[in-house]
Amino acid sequence: MLRLENVTAGYGGKPVVRDVNITIERGELCTLLGLNGSGKTTLLKAVSGLLTLDSGRCFVGEMDCTGFHEHRRARFISHIPQRHSKMQGVPVLDVVLMGRNPHLGLLDSPTKKDLEQATETIEKMGLIELIDEDFAQLSEGQKQMVILVRTLVQDTPAMLMDEPDSALDFLNRHRMLAKIRDLIHSQGKAGLITLHDPNFALAYCDRLILLQDGSVIGELKMKTATKDSIHGCLALIYGNIEILEHGGRYMMLQGSG
Amino acid sequence: MPCDRAEKRALIFAVALVAVAFVVSCCVGKYPLSVPEIFTIISGGQISDIKRNVFLTLRFPRTVMAMLAGIGLGMTGSVYQTIFKNPLASPDIIGVANGANLGAAVAIVLFGYNTLLTASLSFLSGLLVMLLVVSLVRKTNQANTTTYILAGIILKAVSEACIMILKFFADPEKELAAIEFWSMGSFGNITASKLTAILPFFLAGLAGIVLMRRHIALLGLEDDESRTLGVRLKLIRSLVLSFSTLMVTSVICLSGLVNFVGLIAPHIARLLLKRVSFASSVFASLAGAFILLVSDGFARSVYSAEIPVSILTTFIGVPFLIYFMRRGRARRA
Repeated sequence: MLRLENVTAGYGGKPVVRDVNITIERGELCTLLGLNGSGKTTLLKAVSGLLTLDSGRCFVGEMDCTGFHEHRRARFISHIPQRHSKMQGVPVLDVVLMGRNPHLGLLDSPTKKDLEQATETIEKMGLIELIDEDFAQLSEGQKQMVILVRTLVQDTPAMLMDEPDSALDFLNRHRMLAKIRDLIHSQGKAGLITLHDPNFALAYCDRLILLQDGSVIGELKMKTATKDSIHGCLALIYGNIEILEHGGRYMMLQGSG
Repeated sequence: MPCDRAEKRALIFAVALVAVAFVVSCCVGKYPLSVPEIFTIISGGQISDIKRNVFLTLRFPRTVMAMLAGIGLGMTGSVYQTIFKNPLASPDIIGVANGANLGAAVAIVLFGYNTLLTASLSFLSGLLVMLLVVSLVRKTNQANTTTYILAGIILKAVSEACIMILKFFADPEKELAAIEFWSMGSFGNITASKLTAILPFFLAGLAGIVLMRRHIALLGLEDDESRTLGVRLKLIRSLVLSFSTLMVTSVICLSGLVNFVGLIAPHIARLLLKRVSFASSVFASLAGAFILLVSDGFARSVYSAEIPVSILTTFIGVPFLIYFMRRGRARRA
């Protein structure tokens, strides 16, 4: 569904990610794992068109999205940023309706159908009582949910998410990631997410992709993973670690000694 | 987007207030007219030619112009504060007003004080500054809002310096006085023909902004966020800037610089309306229209000579803003 071919990109001609090849299937949620500066955010920015690729191509389905302008690309690829704008005083419904922009012409207003779709999605995500609230007054967890709703309304085959959990507390983090996983699975999207905490990646994602110095150095399918394969893979990035297993779930700890 | 009921009520109230200010403003002046007299003139009844002429060629066009100026400045200020993500932004943030001022100064010093030429030159130089800002931003290849503001500061500074050169060489009795007077703003020499000359430009700018209203909130997002939502940032921002510049320059090329309205009208709107949407921009334009109608009414009636309108907009605008600041704080508490 989402296919990156030899993607090289960076800032000012200096490549940060080099020659990355990734294919993500429909209904698959993949995590990019890596330390600070490994190029996770840069890679997401390159795929979502915020950076021009130095070389390589980027396909959604059979469509080569590499040279698209923003309006066209936003119908294929959505992007939840690490930090969203403040949007002081903007009602939740209006924030969600912004997601329809790629589907509207330059001078079009949102139609009744757009409005219905936005309201329905808000309702489905359990946020209907917030629909008229000022976005800036919501809690961080609610804000991130609204942004997720906006992305759902944008309705793209490929969804990119850059640490969408970074501002959330423990419970909200689990709630958010569970929601994202379920949506990707049930709606058949291709999801690519970056996370800081490998334990959340182990808990919620179908596949881990390990990034170091801008290159993919390993991959792990959770379905077939064993304690040893997880250890071997994550140790590539995190060094001295221990993997615990508890009721079919895995957890990474820093190694002792 | 759907307005809620409180918003609708506030808008209707604002329209009514502007209408009252418009009628009152039509009456006052060195040659006062009463409301029945104005009705007689409009309905084509019997009345002295002087009164008819005063109303049709001077008073009415002038009042319309003051109202349009308020609408243009308020609307543009509100749009700029959103798209530059800066509550201190006003229509002159990208140097357009200073550019227009330079054009007027050139016309005054180099070509004598011909009102038509002054207006045309200031109109063109205002637009030229906007184009220079956009192309300067394009040259740097960094299309973020800070670059726009920096480019605006550069062109503002250059225009100011050029104006200083002209002032330095200007004849202090006539030309220097004219330059200074222009930069304080006045609707004193608006006539029907001038109004009809700028009207198409003003309406084109206004129509452009109204048609593109949906994009204004999108431009108010962080640049990356709006791009991933499908906003073709360079194109859309240039379009919105062009339309708003068209609206503002078409007004100030005739009136001269009008201080403060573009800054405070959006704040009044924001403090009165709970939510931010295109309705706040409409409200800001109504607030601007009200302030300018009142200011211009005073400008031609409190003193034997015309008072520059910027003096009044400041003195009328400031108490408004203080009142709404206090009110806003009380509501938040």
